Amino acid sequence: MYLEIVSPEATLFAGEVVSVTVPGINGEFQILSNHAPIVSLLQNGNVRIQGNVTVDEAFESKFSKGSNGETVLAISSGTIEMKDNKVIVLAD
Amino acid sequence: MANLKEIRNRIASVSSTMQITSAMKMVSAAKLKKAQDAITAMRPYSDKLTELLQSLSANLDADSSSKYAEEREVKKVLIVSITSNRGLCGAFNSNILKQSVSLAQNNYAGKEVDYLVIGKKANDFLGKNNTVVANHSEVFDDLTFDNVAAIAEDLMEQFSSGSYDRIDVVYNKFKNAATQIVMTEQFLPIAPIEGEIATSTDYIFDPSESEIVEQLIPKSLKTQLYKSVRDSFASEHGARMTAMHKATDNATELRDQLKLKYNKARQASITNEILEIVGGAEALNN
Repeated sequence: MYLEIVSPEATLFAGEVVSVTVPGINGEFQILSNHAPIVSLLQNGNVRIQGNVTVDEAFESKFSKGSNGETVLAISSGTIEMKDNKVIVLAD
Repeated sequence: MANLKEIRNRIASVSSTMQITSAMKMVSAAKLKKAQDAITAMRPYSDKLTELLQSLSANLDADSSSKYAEEREVKKVLIVSITSNRGLCGAFNSNILKQSVSLAQNNYAGKEVDYLVIGKKANDFLGKNNTVVANHSEVFDDLTFDNVAAIAEDLMEQFSSGSYDRIDVVYNKFKNAATQIVMTEQFLPIAPIEGEIATSTDYIFDPSESEIVEQLIPKSLKTQLYKSVRDSFASEHGARMTAMHKATDNATELRDQLKLKYNKARQASITNEILEIVGGAEALNN
């Protein structure tokens, strides 16, 4: 599935991923390929991307490597939308 | 020969002015490029947010509207004027100031109007005869979303607490490097979202739809203000670039005129000298 993480200042990440784990306002949840369409709010926490991904050099400093080869991005709040196997995370 | 020297001095001074203006033009061009890139970079975020809000609020009833949509009788108005911190950019600032003042006089005549300014130029001008409640010129030193969002939060607080019944933003919208459009936008209460998108997508909402909208509205307001400030910032550099380009052109023209004048004066003085010599030689021969 395709994942896009956009902040007000730039598109931080865009690319194919296996799955993504996000800090939902009612608890952390994971979105896998072909998940049903969903809109949810995110709270302060980490967005963890599973899969072999490369981050744009310009934003490498914002991401860190987690366990099991995950790519991690810390956010303070945000919104997530999943539709037609495309996930968009609006990160603030 | 004093005349020749005078002209020479003027040519030198015009040339050095020209150097300054053309350097400023190039600096503005570089800054404009950066400012434009920043506008492009924020577009995916603001587009997505607007799209989400539109598709969500289309499903919601009108009466479940948020506290930021409440239409009250307008008694106190706050006008947010966005100008630049520096001058030398043509009519960029005066257009905004004119619009801000005329807005208060025409649209809000008889109402209490206060100003919130972003940019030193607005503070200097509006501060003379009007009430300026806050001056946020420092955001231009470090123009990030978070800094602008703090101002937006302050505005939302002022509106929901009832300090102001209406908040408008006046700024220069960036069209291209040579054109800026003075915009007056209603900031609060939020205008009903236009353009319904027929969404057939059956979303799962977590938490409820109305709660999500409630959370998205402040975000969208912050984005709106950030966009205005970003637009104004890019417009400023565009306006300065154009102004400096014109100044360089004018200086070139002036220098060419002076050169022509200088050469004419030089020629006249040489002719005079020859005439004197010839006259003197004639006198000796006789």
